[in-house]
Amino acid sequence: MEVNRFKAKITPYLFIGPAVILLLIFSFLPILVSLAISFTDMNLSGLANWSQINFIGFDNFITLFKDEVFLKSMRNTFFYVIIGVPAAVISSFVIALLLKFVSDWMSSAFRVVYYLPSVTNIVAIAVVWGFLYNQEYGLFNYLLSLFEINAIPWLEDPLIAKLSLILLTVWKSNGVSMLIFLAALQSIPKMYYEAADIDGANRWQKLCRITLPSMRFATFFVTVTTVIGWLQFFEEPFVMTEGGPLNGTNSMALFIYQEGFQYSEFGYGAAASFILFIIIILATVVQFILRKSDEN
Amino acid sequence: MKIKTRKSIHLFCLLVLIVFISACSSSSKSSGAADENTITVWTMTKGLDEFVTEFEEESGVSVEVQAIPWENAHDKLLTAVASGKGPDVLQIGTTWVAEFAEAGTFLDLSDYITHYDNLSADNFYESAVETTKFEKQTIGIPWYVDTRALFYRTDILGDLGYPNGPSTWEDMIEASRQLADRGDDQYAIDLPATDPQFPFVLAWQFGWNYEVGEGAANFDHANFEEAMKLHHLFYDEGLSQTGEGKEFFQAFEDGSKPMFISGPWDIKTIKDRAPDIERKWDVRLMPKAENNKSMMGGAHWTVFHNSDKVDQALDFINWMADPETQVKWYEANSELPANTVAWEDPILADDPMVSTFGEQLEATQPLPLIPEYERLGQELLNTLEQINRGGADIDKSLEAYRNEVSRILGE
Amino acid sequence: MELKNRFERSIVNTLLFMGGLLVSLPFVWMILSSFKNEREVLSIPPTLFPNEPTFEHYINLFQNLNFDIYLVNTFIIVFFSMVGLLLNTMAGYGFGKFQFRGKEIWFATVLLTMMIPGQVTMIPTYLILNEAGLTNSMAGIVLPGLIAAFNIFLIRQFMVTIPDDLIEAARLDGAGEFYIFFKLIIPLAKPILAVQIILTFIGAWNSFLWPLIIANDESLYTLSVGLALLQDQNVTNYGLQMAGSTFMVVPVLIIFIIFQKHIVEGFNVSGIK
Repeated sequence: MEVNRFKAKITPYLFIGPAVILLLIFSFLPILVSLAISFTDMNLSGLANWSQINFIGFDNFITLFKDEVFLKSMRNTFFYVIIGVPAAVISSFVIALLLKFVSDWMSSAFRVVYYLPSVTNIVAIAVVWGFLYNQEYGLFNYLLSLFEINAIPWLEDPLIAKLSLILLTVWKSNGVSMLIFLAALQSIPKMYYEAADIDGANRWQKLCRITLPSMRFATFFVTVTTVIGWLQFFEEPFVMTEGGPLNGTNSMALFIYQEGFQYSEFGYGAAASFILFIIIILATVVQFILRKSDEN
Repeated sequence: MKIKTRKSIHLFCLLVLIVFISACSSSSKSSGAADENTITVWTMTKGLDEFVTEFEEESGVSVEVQAIPWENAHDKLLTAVASGKGPDVLQIGTTWVAEFAEAGTFLDLSDYITHYDNLSADNFYESAVETTKFEKQTIGIPWYVDTRALFYRTDILGDLGYPNGPSTWEDMIEASRQLADRGDDQYAIDLPATDPQFPFVLAWQFGWNYEVGEGAANFDHANFEEAMKLHHLFYDEGLSQTGEGKEFFQAFEDGSKPMFISGPWDIKTIKDRAPDIERKWDVRLMPKAENNKSMMGGAHWTVFHNSDKVDQALDFINWMADPETQVKWYEANSELPANTVAWEDPILADDPMVSTFGEQLEATQPLPLIPEYERLGQELLNTLEQINRGGADIDKSLEAYRNEVSRILGE
Repeated sequence: MELKNRFERSIVNTLLFMGGLLVSLPFVWMILSSFKNEREVLSIPPTLFPNEPTFEHYINLFQNLNFDIYLVNTFIIVFFSMVGLLLNTMAGYGFGKFQFRGKEIWFATVLLTMMIPGQVTMIPTYLILNEAGLTNSMAGIVLPGLIAAFNIFLIRQFMVTIPDDLIEAARLDGAGEFYIFFKLIIPLAKPILAVQIILTFIGAWNSFLWPLIIANDESLYTLSVGLALLQDQNVTNYGLQMAGSTFMVVPVLIIFIIFQKHIVEGFNVSGIK
């Protein structure tokens, strides 16, 4: 009996152990190292010769909050999150829902089609969208000109460029969220709907009473990860605009990359990444709290 | 007690995993690098692997070439510097020399050079040699060089009375105004908008020079400002396009941008991608302000600081620096020889366009060897973007740039 | 949730069709462009179908790529990523279906690692691997990417929805914990595991930065790294890139088509009873 109790106690650790240990070594430990670096002036020479690293306290953080480019990239990042997250979550949800309505083979086929952007090479995306967005020769402006609408500077105006990148990214990232929503939709027991049919519920009622509540987990998951994804927004501005025009599309992750890897200012870059890290934690914690209060 | 068991179970799981994985991987570990007579070479340039077989046969040293994509070379070098695990021989771009030299990445070659035929500084373009010197050390041997010159359409510029292209910036402006006046979507020239070197090249041509030690005050000179105003003029008057527009070779082909400033590799680009305008274009030296200096780019060979095969490494570099090898490398990969003797070979001397680049190489300026140089260029590009596109005041923006420079240099 | 009305059905179909067209255009363009010569790829206005179809990029691809080595390395990475997926699934199950001391804290730790901005940990991770003597080895390439907090989180969310009664019943029948996990939980988790397998495969198949950074030896390069090497420094060879991407995407699509079918299988509730 004693042996069994012991067994029951360690079982969960056997399941989570390997994963947690690996995470501790390869994710948690590095972040602690980074935290330490953020209080130093470490650059390339410091990397080669640790004796050249100086502890400089909060200097990096103070400089950051005076750095116009950093502040701008922070504002841009918030803009991306506020517009991008609802757009991405709602559109992938709608696609998943529509796919449930059609016959099985059509659903399979369209699932592949809607997943294609996620597997399309980023360079191909940059070339094609670069053409779509080209101010003078682009397809979008050509279509607009048919309706006598003036050309829009898709990537040439800081504000419009942000929106253009959001559109592109929503288009690209829908695939994965759609899959998660689909998996969740599939796991709603059919008998719920059958019971509702017997009660004579209409389609709207079924959506609101059965589908949406059953999807709470999935929606929560997709929202949390999408928020994190947008806060770490990097690849699209990197390939499409390199943060321009006038830093109008620069994001915090891109700023970190520029400082840390292009200019080898590891201390400064690490400090910026910590601010981003804290913002992400705060955003996630808020969502968990909201969910808790929603459940109660 | 319990906690201990728990921990040991965790550790055990991890151990099993690591042993398992490393057992699977050990077979793929290289054994070559440990070999006495094998040197490892890191390069960002394609085609070296096949090229070195001749050297391997001649010398009996085997060369293990690891190619690294340019885009990720910086990351890869950073990790090599961090761990001290690098190759024996390492290619380095001229703009990265100061940054990595300051971090002690390279072996000082000063004492070795005299023992080899081809490594003497006299063999190479002077500006190229200057970027191999960092704080009185010689950290590298020039491999290939690279510069910028003016590509232009002989037919279109000929109609305006410049069959040989504009030779001064005054002529350039005059011609450009006419070209831009041809109508909507017609421009004169594509300036290298994303090349952080170019604004400095322009300033050199106005007689400016970067003095290490003066720091931000360097950018307070009248001739620097003059150059930046010239840059602004091209965008202000619509002589150059602010946004992206077409691919440059298309715009060059259809004549909407009949000039651009670029490097020797674009000779091939235009030949391949715009064959319809054959014989209707040429390359000429940079337009002149006070002088017509261009930049000296390219790459050097260096020896990693803790290599224990210095002799073999230098044998290899010596072979690469040989005029004959340099010509062969040019033939194989179109990269211009750093060794001036190689330029006498008819393969280079009889090609007029390449010779133009050879001539431009005589009028080049080495980059100032400070680690922050690339950063300063990037910030200058940002500043110019704010002036040209954002409509910022030029004096105020340059003032802000000087403050930024002070910050970067830690003054 | 079925549409009975014919009119409604055709609206939904049209919507999906239009959206699908819009969404797949760059993909189609990518494939068709891989058969265009360099001049045509970037011509304005762009062409959809190649004027003079050419296989030069594919020939170039196969001639210049150490195809066999890169492919083997890529498969090794894919294999280990699947081992990683198993560990992720175990962890997700552990967090979803067990009560134990420190659970909240450990789970929070896992979530925390998901929020780390990617570039930050690169150099520290490299230094750790270096200390462990794992640079220039397959272990060094594989280990850091083995566990993904995102996946653990997703799997946990799913595990939570599995009824406890089911597991209890199995325990009362005398089944061991790992027997329950492999014979009961994994089959039940099929939809979410199908998603996971797709995502894990894609990640491993495209792995690029770690193989490049950890390997001091081209014999450890992967297909993605090999493709990146074909790029010129100064001139972007778009046709070649498109051919490379097309070539890389085919296995991904095959895996996707195979596993997405399993997403459809949901709980069979009557069976659970």
